[in-house]
Amino acid sequence: MVAIFEKRTLRDFDWLLAFLAIGIVAFGALQIRNAQPTETFWVKQLIGLGVAFVAMLAIAFSDYRRLLNIAPAFYVFGIALLVLVLIPGIGLKLNGHRSWIRVPGLGQFQPSEFVKVTTAMMLARYFGKHRHTALKLKELAVGGFILGLPIALILLEHDAGSVLTYIPILLVVLFLSGIQMRLVIAVIILSVVAIPAAYWVGVKTHLVKNYQQERINVILDPQNADKRGFGYHTWQSILTVGEGGIFGARASSEHSQSSLKYLPEPHSDFIFAVTAENSGFVGCILLLLGYTILLSRLIAGARRAPDRPGMLVIMAVVGGLAFQIFINVGMALGILPVIGVPLPLMSAGLASLVATFIAIGFAISVRLRRFVN
Amino acid sequence: MKFEDTSQNLRARLGAINVLVVLLLAVLGVRLYLLQIVRGKYYAEIAENQRIRLLPIPAPRGVIFDRNGNVLVDSRPIYEVILSRQDLRGKDLKSLVQLLSAGLGVDAEILRDRFDQIQSLPAFESIPIKQDATSGDISWVEAHKLEFPELRVEQQPQRRYPSDGTLAHVLGYVGEISPEQLKQQVSRDKGLKPGDIIGLSGLEQSYDDYLRGRDGYRKVVVDSRGRIQDEIETVAPQPGQDLVTTIDLDLQKAAEEQLRNSSTKRGVIIVMDPNNGELLALASAPTFDSNLFQRITTKAGRAEYTALIDDPEKPLLNRAIQSRYPPGSTWKIPMAVAGLQQGAITMDHSNLVCGGGITIGNKFTRCMGNHGMPDLRTAITRSCDGYFFRLGLKMGLDGIVAMVDEFDLNRRTGVDLPNEVAGWTPSREFKQRMQPRDPDWREIDTVYSSFGQVYDIITPIALLRTVAGVGMGGKLYVPHFVKEINPVGKPGEPGYRAGRAFQPLDSSRPNPKVVPIPEDEHHLIVEGMWGVVNNGGTGAGIKMAGFDIAGKTGTAQVVGLGKDIGKNKDHSWFVSYAPAFKPEISIIALIENAGFGSQFAAPAVRGVYNVYYRKTRHEEPPGAQVAKAKNAKPAVTKAQEKKPAQIAQTH
Repeated sequence: MVAIFEKRTLRDFDWLLAFLAIGIVAFGALQIRNAQPTETFWVKQLIGLGVAFVAMLAIAFSDYRRLLNIAPAFYVFGIALLVLVLIPGIGLKLNGHRSWIRVPGLGQFQPSEFVKVTTAMMLARYFGKHRHTALKLKELAVGGFILGLPIALILLEHDAGSVLTYIPILLVVLFLSGIQMRLVIAVIILSVVAIPAAYWVGVKTHLVKNYQQERINVILDPQNADKRGFGYHTWQSILTVGEGGIFGARASSEHSQSSLKYLPEPHSDFIFAVTAENSGFVGCILLLLGYTILLSRLIAGARRAPDRPGMLVIMAVVGGLAFQIFINVGMALGILPVIGVPLPLMSAGLASLVATFIAIGFAISVRLRRFVN
Repeated sequence: MKFEDTSQNLRARLGAINVLVVLLLAVLGVRLYLLQIVRGKYYAEIAENQRIRLLPIPAPRGVIFDRNGNVLVDSRPIYEVILSRQDLRGKDLKSLVQLLSAGLGVDAEILRDRFDQIQSLPAFESIPIKQDATSGDISWVEAHKLEFPELRVEQQPQRRYPSDGTLAHVLGYVGEISPEQLKQQVSRDKGLKPGDIIGLSGLEQSYDDYLRGRDGYRKVVVDSRGRIQDEIETVAPQPGQDLVTTIDLDLQKAAEEQLRNSSTKRGVIIVMDPNNGELLALASAPTFDSNLFQRITTKAGRAEYTALIDDPEKPLLNRAIQSRYPPGSTWKIPMAVAGLQQGAITMDHSNLVCGGGITIGNKFTRCMGNHGMPDLRTAITRSCDGYFFRLGLKMGLDGIVAMVDEFDLNRRTGVDLPNEVAGWTPSREFKQRMQPRDPDWREIDTVYSSFGQVYDIITPIALLRTVAGVGMGGKLYVPHFVKEINPVGKPGEPGYRAGRAFQPLDSSRPNPKVVPIPEDEHHLIVEGMWGVVNNGGTGAGIKMAGFDIAGKTGTAQVVGLGKDIGKNKDHSWFVSYAPAFKPEISIIALIENAGFGSQFAAPAVRGVYNVYYRKTRHEEPPGAQVAKAKNAKPAVTKAQEKKPAQIAQTH
């Protein structure tokens, strides 16, 4: 019995998904090395890959249903971590955000990355019940609360970027939990009309501050924005990307934008610009293609999920990943303002890496149990 | 999908999410295409420009020699504190002013100017903050490296001029190119950039293109904070071309000494070879220290400069080429040539009445003596005003204007120094301008114009060129300082710069300009001038037996001729060449507000002839002691009051 189970497990294990993820991380480690050749970030990232892979296997071979059953416990544990971060002495302040916890021997990690997973699990569990009707207002409120609690705590860390990546998780779950289509359309139309209008009114009434306007202007016209002030990061990132050309920059790696420190945070937030400089259009398109296949594969897994919570947890992961990729790459390409979020699987950072692999582990676990009723 | 789905079209919604995800990634792909494929080259260029810097290595300027190989100006290496624009991003320059001013002892006002300048420069430029940095300044910069990473100490060649002001007006000085000059197209064509050192005056300016070396550079890679990470290539600087001048340092020093010892210490002495226009000496007093302009960024230097500008004696002015004076009786030499040329007098009939003066209308203009009815020779020797009043009237205004044109007295001589001015000479327009209330030209104006007063206002160098030209029988050369410009490198090699001999700046003018003077007329006039010194004339006091000086004294009216009123005394002139009938050297002296030409300018000229004589004849000049004694004679004013008869003679 055990042998049969294992055979089937090995056959049904989503090797494509796992290898795609591992491949992207390896490619990322190469770029991290390009970005900071004198630092050991890339070694840490490869070690992190090992840790993350083990974590993924552990989750993949567990029964996701049992994990979802104890989701509230994980959720509470996650919230506790976020509270812990806020306590001076335990929480570590880096780059102006108090969002790291020092773990003796391991260094520091960012709990908000893990809480993303626990929150997604909690949402999947809550909205995963058998559904006959459209979404009720009460459900909407509870969902909002589940998401709102970690968001509020993260906001206390002054880490607005992370908060942004939480929102699509709830939106996807709500969208897939029978929220009325007309409500969705109404919200889309309203935001298309209302956001520019609000901005315009804000500028006219000076409610939008000058520096905030400046940040928007940088995106609208980076060429003429303040290239030494607000526009610096965006402008340098555009230059770095543009320099890459088709096959990568001609300049030797000692003279790259990142090694000369023109590009800030080249190993983490701006890893995509480094990738663009080193591997050019070809490398970038391949990377984007890799992400597309990965996300499509996840969605395909969700379609075949044996139950609703399984489908929801995969799609919550998809929503989070897709949105984060878009925000990060959009920032590097100068079409979105600079927001400090890592590029999943590429940016150096243990927490993000492990959290993403755990999320993928869930997806694999769901897939492994697609024939189990 | 295995679980029940009755409430919603879940399949479609999943599909929608899938489409949305692909769409978002496609947007990124399109943007990538725009940045990397469409505009890739453009951004690559900008990125390269921000990390590549050209750091100039300044080239030393050429050396300036005198005709005997003595070094007049050279360059020595000094240290300079440089502010590079690298990593001034985010720094408030205004806040640096106080700190740097205190730390380096640079004037805050100067720093503010510099910082305004730096805003408009391309990123790789640097700007000198303090020249001639002391070891204290250098260690200050070292100690504040972290606070001011944009400061650097660099070696820079600095010009070294004679410190006592010798030749200051001729050599000129160098300095940083001004923002106004930078805006000119010429400067841009030459590739000049802010902070470049160029000649701003004198020979340094005239021959700047030759003297200026070609800066080398280091092409380096810098990081975002402007720290040099790598060096790509180095191009060594190429020194400028050396200048061999016609100056004779001994004569120059003698000339300057004569001016220093003169009664007012203001004046001009020029020594020229009449055979080719080579200038052996040009002294203008008072003088200044050319080195000052390289100290101008210090407080003390700026104060010195301000004092120099405000000095009522105008030491910066090169009086030889930039000041106009009435030439007094020296004007009579070209008048004599023109009088014969125009037929106002002839070789056979050159006698005119002196009459002790002349009456025009009801106004009597007197001669300083009564010379009867002298011939031209005597009139020159005795400097008879009455003779030349009548000669002027015979020539008329038109005759005088023709003479002025012939001798280029209303034009620049073309000397190879910048900012030479042209003389003002008699004309109806000039009178209208000078006396708008009485604009018509009258006979009395012709009288004034005929003996070097009122309407005759010219530069000493123009006068010397005229008189030396007469001495040469009518050959007027372009006065100049450059004998040769030495080549740099070897022909065929890269960076070779060819040498060349002197060429007039204005090649359209003939050199020499020939004024036709028949031999007999020339001889007559030279005899008159010979007599001035050698035959009891107005310059008899400086006679050198065996070395015949031909000359002419002049006394230029400042307020009224002979009316000695303190500061506004007459200018004292003496213009000469020697030997009289085979000229090899010509000298002019002007002592401002000293008095009579014979008493002040002539002995000064004699002093320079002494030095020349010793150099060329290798023996003591005859009668040197006499001249010295005369030169040292004090209390001139009293002598004049007591002996009016002598005044007529010395005039």
